[in-house]
Amino acid sequence: MSQESQVTQLPKETITFNLNDRDITVPKGTTVMEAAHRNDVYIPHFCWHPGLSIAGVCRFCLVKVDNRPKLEIACNLQATPGMKVSTLLPEVKEAHKWALEFHLVNHPLDCPICDQAGECKLQDFYMEVGKYKSEMDRPKVLKPKALNVGSELVLDTERCILCDRCVRFEQEVTKTGALGIFNRGDRAIVGTYPDKKIEHNYQDNLVDICPVGAFTSRDFRFKQRVWFLKDKPAVCPGCSTGCHVNVYAKPEVRTYFRVKPRESAVNSHWMCDTGRKTYKHLNQDQRLRFPVATDTTGKRKRVSTAEAVASLVAQLRSVAVQDVALLVSPQYTCEEYAAFFDFFVKKLGVTKVFQWREPTEKLEEFDGLLYRGDHNPNTFGLSEALAKVGLPKDVKNGFDDLARSGAKLVVALAPEIGFQFPSLESQFQRLSELPFVSVWTTSAAAYNVQAFKHLLPLKGFAEKRGSFLNYQGKVGELAHPFPAAVDDAHDVVEVVTAVADVWAHAL
Amino acid sequence: MATGIIKVAPPPEDKNLFQMAYGYASTIFAGMWKTGVIFFMQITGLEKTNTLEWPEQPATYSERFKGKHFLTRRDDGQVRCTACFLCATACPAECITIVAGQHPTNEIEKFPVRFEIDILRCVFCGFCEEACPVDAIRLGPEYAMAGAAGDKWVYTKDYLADRGQLHGGITSVKEENTKHFTTDHNPRGDDLIATDAPHMRHH
Amino acid sequence: MSEAKPKIILRTEGLPDQRSIKTYVDKAEGYTAVRKVLGGLSREQVIEEVKQSGLRGRGGAGFLTGLKWSFVPKDMPGPKYLICNNDESEPGTFKDRYICAVNPHQVIEGMIIAAYAIGANKGYIYTRWEFQEEIGYLETAIKEAYEAGFLGKNLLGSGFDFELDHYSGAGAYICGEETGLISSLEGKKGQPKVKPPFPAVSGYLGRPTIVNNTETLANVPWIINHGPKAFRQWGTEKSPGTKVFSISGALNKPGVYEVPLGYPFESLLNDEGGGMQAGRSLKALIPGGASAPVLTPTECEGLTMDYEAMAQRGTMLGSGAVIIIDDRQSIAELLKVTIDFFAHESCGQCTPCREGTGWLNNIMDGILDRSAKPDNIERLRTVSRNMGGKTICALSDACAMPVMAFVQKFSDELHAYLAAGSGSHRQ
Repeated sequence: MSQESQVTQLPKETITFNLNDRDITVPKGTTVMEAAHRNDVYIPHFCWHPGLSIAGVCRFCLVKVDNRPKLEIACNLQATPGMKVSTLLPEVKEAHKWALEFHLVNHPLDCPICDQAGECKLQDFYMEVGKYKSEMDRPKVLKPKALNVGSELVLDTERCILCDRCVRFEQEVTKTGALGIFNRGDRAIVGTYPDKKIEHNYQDNLVDICPVGAFTSRDFRFKQRVWFLKDKPAVCPGCSTGCHVNVYAKPEVRTYFRVKPRESAVNSHWMCDTGRKTYKHLNQDQRLRFPVATDTTGKRKRVSTAEAVASLVAQLRSVAVQDVALLVSPQYTCEEYAAFFDFFVKKLGVTKVFQWREPTEKLEEFDGLLYRGDHNPNTFGLSEALAKVGLPKDVKNGFDDLARSGAKLVVALAPEIGFQFPSLESQFQRLSELPFVSVWTTSAAAYNVQAFKHLLPLKGFAEKRGSFLNYQGKVGELAHPFPAAVDDAHDVVEVVTAVADVWAHAL
Repeated sequence: MATGIIKVAPPPEDKNLFQMAYGYASTIFAGMWKTGVIFFMQITGLEKTNTLEWPEQPATYSERFKGKHFLTRRDDGQVRCTACFLCATACPAECITIVAGQHPTNEIEKFPVRFEIDILRCVFCGFCEEACPVDAIRLGPEYAMAGAAGDKWVYTKDYLADRGQLHGGITSVKEENTKHFTTDHNPRGDDLIATDAPHMRHH
Repeated sequence: MSEAKPKIILRTEGLPDQRSIKTYVDKAEGYTAVRKVLGGLSREQVIEEVKQSGLRGRGGAGFLTGLKWSFVPKDMPGPKYLICNNDESEPGTFKDRYICAVNPHQVIEGMIIAAYAIGANKGYIYTRWEFQEEIGYLETAIKEAYEAGFLGKNLLGSGFDFELDHYSGAGAYICGEETGLISSLEGKKGQPKVKPPFPAVSGYLGRPTIVNNTETLANVPWIINHGPKAFRQWGTEKSPGTKVFSISGALNKPGVYEVPLGYPFESLLNDEGGGMQAGRSLKALIPGGASAPVLTPTECEGLTMDYEAMAQRGTMLGSGAVIIIDDRQSIAELLKVTIDFFAHESCGQCTPCREGTGWLNNIMDGILDRSAKPDNIERLRTVSRNMGGKTICALSDACAMPVMAFVQKFSDELHAYLAAGSGSHRQ
């Protein structure tokens, strides 16, 4: 998690060595494994991880160096000038065969029931490296399976290949040290120390780093086979850190299944468990499915987008501009704010703009790793957008001011992620007391408030293009949207364009 | 010799009316004679017909016949399927829908909560049977699947598994992956204390 | 009859009150080497003397001691450590405990000189926990040395400090591996560390550390007092000096004997060892502890006890644990005991050793209960061949080499054992 280092780095001494007939220049002290990782050369490995210390226990990343008789492990081998390293020689491939054989000797035949199937390193290397006919015909060592070690985790010690990544993660990243490897030899098992439990907010990272199905996610357990999933890069909307993530979904059934971190300077290789829940609200059971407006009798009914837009424009025309207020959640993209304020503030002249924030939030809170107290991804972007149209940009919850402002018509961009907002219910109540509120939202929760007479369904963060600005003002791109899970959903830019269109024609 | 010319018989010359009539009559007669002979032979029982009087006489097919699917069972009666999704992945018609779930006993761990085959989409290729690693699904000998428009064309797990009357029974032949460990540990249950690990293979 | 044997190590053996400092000082030139070193020799001179003598590590690896000491960076400020590896766990070896029971002060004196040579001011003796009596002897000896002023601050007015502590292990063979020992000493799990960095550069607590075997250190005072040339009068060119051998098995006088390197095996067996017991014949010889490949009686003809002769025959002198296997012993059961030991002691860190030793043990169980298929016997060799050379420490090789030797040389007997339905059990 690099904080901004504006200090210019002194140029590091570099050395050049030869990897698979390619000359590579790296800073002095880099290991062959790191050099390969940065130069798109894949050296098969289990226990090495770019975010953790070197263990050197799997003995899989063997490479041939110069003319040395024994193969060396690349993860602990410092590159020296002129060194000649090969990962492709037949000698290396032969060594891989038995290295894999030893890993599989006591590994249970759990592929049918193991969630890791499809993204399991043992499976991948088995296909790649072979020795397809195992010579092990003796009974295997049995160990405890399917154990509860943390609220998000299921541990299967039999599948564990004792790569030590989880132990190092607990010691080095979360500094909680709850995991260890007990017993010797092939009775060794991974587990929690007797007086410790895994209770932190980074448990699912253990699932990510585990190369096999020893640690599996309880949330994702048995839900889907990973080869049916497609993943697209996005930015986590859970807090202002803006970790880079990949969102996994099965578009054919319009369902989202999980979120995993993506390596970046912002979040290194990790993300918190809270952020991993940000796919749930995208699924159809929690979505607002269609626009809602009232008929002539004032009863709510489902309408088409065009009808909803027309109804909103009609309402807008019926009030004076000083009676219009905007209530904006800092969970939308900069582009959406630009379009929104362009129309409502610049064009229409609305001046009453308030922020929809959680009143109990503690902005300075920070757990020391990634999760921040500002549970919105784009506070920075909203402030900037407000400043750009000449409005006050201080970060405060605007509900009280809204109540005092005497507004008769409110256009509200509701928070997309509701589970971090304990006051959401009461805020809905307060909002519903105003004469006319048009709520633009992804969530079905707004639909359940009967007093809301105008609702427009929106796309979730994984379904639209745009950008967030994190707490440092760094840009996080949403550039690869999934098709929306709900047909009638649009993003704010599209809705505002439609509104502006109708407004212009109605003049 | 490849010269590019294929020799064919010359078209018949135009016939006169008598020749044409003769041609028609002779072929008709020959055909009818043949039919009549066979008819006579078969109706008097001198020659066996190949016709099977189904459904009074059942049709038998070889053991490899791919008919209606069924799910096999374990010795204790539970469905053998572990919801690994290999059949659903292999199926070229994408007609298998599975929803997996956590089994109450940890020895089995994963099982199909829902297992449905849309039989109208199925092409009876048998890939699912081949793909299954635990002999959980087989295509059986039943071939009579006709029904009316409103009938249920999506076979559910209960129907697929409930075919004990099939000849040979439907117990799976693949052995259970030996799990020595007791069933007490359920992911929703106790916590792991590492030093409590049960003693493994004796040393 | 053999001529008088040189006694470099076991000098106080048999003397009344052999362990006391008084006996050591009076009868075995006790602490004179320390005086000589602290009296005016420089570090480099001490290292040079030891290098010239050709002293090799007596713990099993046989690495040149003087060369090892020279790996310590000379000008690095900060603490350095000297550790005596008294974790004698190689099966068949019981010579270090004997040295501790007979002449512990020579070990201490050797440590003082070695520490001076490498610039260490703190030393540890790491003894395996099972040696409760020997731990007692060492602690007594350390106390005596402190009281006499040979340990502590400003030894003999030279300005050189040397504090010595005793530390005991907790029952793990792997803590005899130098980085395993260092890990254990640091309070962690006794698991070997990945090398590089090597202990001489970064060892105990990240500081330069030298780990030497008890017997190796016990050689040092004599070498300093009498010089490398005198040391080289015994032994061979590449294996100078004497070695303490622990010889066991069905012979008349099993025990610990100090003989020059290069001593004929026959003499060791028949003279010191008193020959095979009545009615027993030699079936096999394990010359250097369980991890040394076995030798058949034919291969023992003309065998001399030194590093090169052993290496020539494809085995190793190792720790000097000579195990005599007589004709009563079933090779299959012997192999099981050997493999079981390594499988039990493997620390479990790296995959080839952990799974390999376990697999070999699994196969041996299958051979013993006859449930294994005959091709498993050859598989012992295949697995062993692929276990070695790729691990963090040498335990994997230590298991693999003897297994390959046994299977190669006694394959017929193993096959016969497997084929015999109702086992040939030990009498």
